[in-house]
Amino acid sequence: MLNRADVWTLYRRELRSAFRERTIVVNSILMPIFLYPVLLWVMFTAQTYIQGLNEGFTSRIALVDPVPADHASVLDSLRGREGVRLRGDPEEETPTGPPDILIESEALALLRSGAVDAVVGFRPPEGAGSTLPGNFRVQVRFDGTESRSERARDRVESVLAGYRDTWVQREAERLGMGVEDRVRFLVDVESVSTSREMGTMILGQMLSFFLIIMVALGCFVPSVDTTAGERERSTWETLMTVAASRASVVTAKYLYVATLGIAAGVLNVTAVFLSVGAVLRPLLQGSGEEITFSIPLAAVPVMLAGAVALALFFSAAMMLLASFARSFKDGQALVQPVYWLVFLPLLLGQQTDRTLTPAIASVPVANVSMMIRDAINGVFLWPLIAWTLVVTLATVALALTGARFALRFEDFLLGSFDGSFWRFVRDRISRRRRTDHTTEAGR
Amino acid sequence: MSDSVPPAPSAATASAVPTPSGAPPTIEVRDLRKTFYDESRGEVHAVDGISFACDRGEVFGLLGANGAGKTTTLRMLSTVLRPSGGSAWVMGHEVAAEPEAVRRSLGFYSASTALYPRLTARETLEFFARINRYPPERVPERVEELVERFGIGEYQHARVEKLSSGMKQKVSIARTIAHDPPVLIFDEPTVGLDVLNALEMVRVVRRLRDEGKTVLFSSHIMSEVEKLCDRIGIIHRGRLLALGTLEELRERTGRHYLEDVFVHYVTREEGVDVAELGATGELEAGA
Amino acid sequence: MTPLRPGRGGGVLATILRYELRMLLRDRRTLLIAVVAPLVLFPAWILISRVVERNEERRLDEAEYLYAVAGTLEAWARTAVHEALALPDSGGGDGARAVRFTEVRPPDPDSALRAGDLHVVVHGLTAEEYGALAEEERLEAIERGVDGAAEAEPPPLARALRIRYRAESDFSRGAMSRLREALTDLRRLERDSAFAERGFPVALGDVAEVEDENVATAEEEGGAFLGLALTPFLLLLMLTGGSIVAVDAISGEKERGTLETLLTTSASRGEIVRAKLLAVTVVGVAVALVNGLNLAVYLGLGVLELPASLQMAVSPLRALVVFLLYLPLAFLVSGVLLLVSGFSKSYREYQIYFFPVFLVFLVTALAPLLPGMELRSAMVLVPVSGISLAVREVLGGEVDWLFAGLAFVSTGAVAAWLAILTERTLSNERLISRSELDAADLAGGAALFPRHVFRWFLGFWVLFWVTSLWAGESLGIRGQILVNLVGIFFGGTILLLVRYRLPVREALSLRAPHPAAWIATLVGAPAALALGIGVAEFVNRYVFPVPEEMLEAFGRSLSGPELPLWQLVLFLSVMPGVFEELAFRGALLHGVRQRMGRWGTVLVVGAFFGFFHVSLFRIVPTALLGMILAAVVLFSRSIYPAVLWHALNNALALVPVRLGWIGEDFRLPTWTVVPALAGVAVSLWILWRTGAGRRAAPVPPGPGFRA
Repeated sequence: MLNRADVWTLYRRELRSAFRERTIVVNSILMPIFLYPVLLWVMFTAQTYIQGLNEGFTSRIALVDPVPADHASVLDSLRGREGVRLRGDPEEETPTGPPDILIESEALALLRSGAVDAVVGFRPPEGAGSTLPGNFRVQVRFDGTESRSERARDRVESVLAGYRDTWVQREAERLGMGVEDRVRFLVDVESVSTSREMGTMILGQMLSFFLIIMVALGCFVPSVDTTAGERERSTWETLMTVAASRASVVTAKYLYVATLGIAAGVLNVTAVFLSVGAVLRPLLQGSGEEITFSIPLAAVPVMLAGAVALALFFSAAMMLLASFARSFKDGQALVQPVYWLVFLPLLLGQQTDRTLTPAIASVPVANVSMMIRDAINGVFLWPLIAWTLVVTLATVALALTGARFALRFEDFLLGSFDGSFWRFVRDRISRRRRTDHTTEAGR
Repeated sequence: MSDSVPPAPSAATASAVPTPSGAPPTIEVRDLRKTFYDESRGEVHAVDGISFACDRGEVFGLLGANGAGKTTTLRMLSTVLRPSGGSAWVMGHEVAAEPEAVRRSLGFYSASTALYPRLTARETLEFFARINRYPPERVPERVEELVERFGIGEYQHARVEKLSSGMKQKVSIARTIAHDPPVLIFDEPTVGLDVLNALEMVRVVRRLRDEGKTVLFSSHIMSEVEKLCDRIGIIHRGRLLALGTLEELRERTGRHYLEDVFVHYVTREEGVDVAELGATGELEAGA
Repeated sequence: MTPLRPGRGGGVLATILRYELRMLLRDRRTLLIAVVAPLVLFPAWILISRVVERNEERRLDEAEYLYAVAGTLEAWARTAVHEALALPDSGGGDGARAVRFTEVRPPDPDSALRAGDLHVVVHGLTAEEYGALAEEERLEAIERGVDGAAEAEPPPLARALRIRYRAESDFSRGAMSRLREALTDLRRLERDSAFAERGFPVALGDVAEVEDENVATAEEEGGAFLGLALTPFLLLLMLTGGSIVAVDAISGEKERGTLETLLTTSASRGEIVRAKLLAVTVVGVAVALVNGLNLAVYLGLGVLELPASLQMAVSPLRALVVFLLYLPLAFLVSGVLLLVSGFSKSYREYQIYFFPVFLVFLVTALAPLLPGMELRSAMVLVPVSGISLAVREVLGGEVDWLFAGLAFVSTGAVAAWLAILTERTLSNERLISRSELDAADLAGGAALFPRHVFRWFLGFWVLFWVTSLWAGESLGIRGQILVNLVGIFFGGTILLLVRYRLPVREALSLRAPHPAAWIATLVGAPAALALGIGVAEFVNRYVFPVPEEMLEAFGRSLSGPELPLWQLVLFLSVMPGVFEELAFRGALLHGVRQRMGRWGTVLVVGAFFGFFHVSLFRIVPTALLGMILAAVVLFSRSIYPAVLWHALNNALALVPVRLGWIGEDFRLPTWTVVPALAGVAVSLWILWRTGAGRRAAPVPPGPGFRA
């Protein structure tokens, strides 16, 4: 029944015509290579750009009270802080002399209109704070709808925090407290993760998700094109009349769709892997973080196995559904629900500490995603990996059985069938009873 | 729209293309040309100076091989394509200057004018009647008439996508005349039809002629043209080689079968060069 | 005979619209997948992911965190952690911190941490140890070039608790942040009591206490957030919703063969386009509305919830203004979709174009994300961005009637223009009829080149971009220039010449120009540079603000401090002049001008050139230079003046700074734009008079190789 030479000939023909079809080349080859690198690049460029813009803004501060007389240096610290300018201060030279003090209502109006970024007032202390002689309270008003206003608030507050520290230190020295007494102790944190571990964490989250999307995308157009598309072009019937057995024809098509799915997945992983470092570099520059992107060698076969299993699953499911359509467009609509499955792993969460569990390993698609993430992170739970592959291949077998069942019906096989899935099912059920397989259906 | 509107033709002036009856022509084509620019072959003259005129109640056939320029001529008449030279009038409206008026006066049918699959047969007729500006209050009446005339009644509420090709053809013809145009253009109407459906087509065309419509008809099937057409134009490589009634063509060539007549003209054309062709202009003058 | 009464256009429009919608409603499968399914799936998606998210939060909250204590001051650290964990939660938590932390005592805590056997290790360090460690880390940071590392002050000399954790683990991070919070609380209390013992009257937190106050109300914040998110969200819905109709409207009709039927009816192309535009808009808006309502229902039912701080309160007036602002946007979306549909010959072709269109819309709609971007700027004239900004301002509480009106008009005008373009695609014979044989496809060779030239240059662009992304770092500036100029541009040009068997002299315009052309070039190049700088400054100031530092950094990267002068001239002036001209004003121009008129060619060649200079803020000025150079070649009928012009341009931009004649921050005064414009004009005029203009031939129909 299944002739290997036939399958090979048919398979090559499918591939050859695929590479001449623009839609397939775009979806199965170009998108996997460029989509995510480009999107990542656009995203991170925009982010650094916006960050740069934000940092570049000068925060315009309006004072509504004079600085308390004992604390004149607050004013100098404010003026000395880079990126802060008091309203009324001259732009060019370093300002001296008293600053402009605005009327409160006027200052708030300016804040609302966006002409100043924060309004700062010095108030007498309240409650417990009032027992300290010379103490004061600072009121910083900002506009929560403007990011530059929030930044201005942060800048003012950091200046004031610095001032508080020096004041407290002065007081401590006056009280005769030693450093140990004044500071008590320090608290800080340190990550022991290597740059490589950070890299695999990021890669694990990205690749496990991208690979699935891309395998599905790679299968999408070919599966529709090789079934519904053939029907639309009326080449389906031509194919069904060739000497090769139907099993050979269908097998060749199936292998071809799976091949493109695998190719899309592999190309995508390679492209993302190659570009992620370059894309993230400008973002990390200056923050002192270092991230090295690498994948453990043992993860490569696991990823490949995952890609193959997924491709087999997606192509079986998609081809089965697309076979019910008469036109490319209808086919796409029918296959769409399978494509939505790719979001399963996202729905199940992307927590860094999760690894494959027997439960997750039993959920198709999500299990492969988790398996790949584990592998990239260097975690290999072999029994669960095996279980994942078994579950995936079982769903493949299920879909193939469905396809075999559908192919038994002549109207379906020959494409005379009119494309309504429900009509097909209904006809099958009613016809079963009459045990009549030959009448033409769905005219 | 072109700013230089060619003068409307009139039978009173010494028209280069008279009609058999001498009445004002319903379709007049004068020195019509269509040139495609092709990057490898340069200019391609798909239609190269064709002139003819049709009368009311006449079936005029354009006979030619595939690629002779029939379809391009008809598409220019239906204003889908714009002429690169010359002009044509339908019911006195110039195709380039008044395309909408032209389209209002004609129905165009060809293998490439498909129907909307998701509309029912009846809706299709209604749609095309309305969109061709048939008086809205009379649309239901007209649709009724068409349904009856073409025997669509049985399946008038079925969607076009479910119809068989014969049914589709009937709906398609009905939609072509939905707005009751005086001029009908059928471009290879029998292509892909079985014998019975093709016969039905012939019947329809005859009946339309009897109603006083002008039918411009193109085909490469000799028997059909022989059977149907009052006058025949033989077109080859974008030029009109001969024009006349079947009898006239037989007389001129001394051959009986249209097929032989056709072959006679075409081989002659292939054999002689362009300069000589100009001298054989008498062939194009008609009766 | 039936009277041929010219019906009213409105009747035809209504008829097409009605039938268009009726046909859509009958396409049950498309409706189900594109409209109904998202209605269910979208909220379901949000709901499920929220549940999962909450679950994860709970997991982190309820987890048992394992910690170990180590270091010289291990005993002190242990007591401190115990005490800290016993403190009540300052963040208003349940105060059960201690319950969730369990101490473990592995032999080697740090390796146990790395192995993932515990979540954090707390090291108790003496003042000396910590000081030395901090200094070591500071030096390391300086070496790595961390911002501000050199200026950082050393910490006070005191014992310290250092929490070690693993950043790649959520649990370890959770343990770290919780423990740090507790220890910081402990430290605050200890310091307060130490100061109190010495008679200090207040808690340290009360010294120069800062309180901040947000003057924006919750409604305003909600409005601002809504203003940011609404436009992209609606665009997404309108684009996908409108597509259902648009794809069928023209490209689908072509595929089914019904377009020709429609075009032979007496409906004018204008009427057809207007009716279809209306249909696309109606469906797009309907889909957006239905989805919006759907979301509102879920919000109302409490199935989904918004963050509490975002209270939406939109007054009817503001809602009305927003609605009016979205009208032209809706038409613009439909216009674009319909135009794409008109250009595509089939359903699939439409789909290929859809994604890029979608991205462009999304990016322009995100304009309000740029900080400091205001409606009162040139941005108001950018179609989608103007509306997006106006909507944000209206929802944020301000209505700037004049500029909102301007945004309305600019987007509306573009929408109208698109409708006209679409109408033209319906008259374009190549686009409407499928039957025209592409003889060029069969013939191949030079004839195919004009049709493939964009594809090739798109490929070059991708290659260009990818090499700079993947290998930019390792190649260095010279390597990158060599790869780009010699590899991609020159290699690409040669490849095209060979592949399409192009006549070399003709394709690359290798002809001697009129002698006057050299003079024109010497005048034009500096003028064009000044003009370009002026335009760039205008763009940077009013259209697309770029931070000063970014420009400076770019300037530094270009002046290439490590290149000697002769290399600077060779790599950044002479070689770009030769190779970029051969590629863009040679091969590209040769292909484009066989497809387009003179001005179209100039625009397209310029735009391509601009996009090859990837940095966003350089696109406009380089595109301008590209256009001028394209005109130079077209007018002088020779590539040589353009090569000189380009090289001069680059040299003038770099060498004076390099030689220190002018400073890096040198700025041309604004008025120089006027003489610069005049200089460019005069130069182009000379080229025209002595070159193409002299022939006084009607526009040369491009390819001379056929002669």
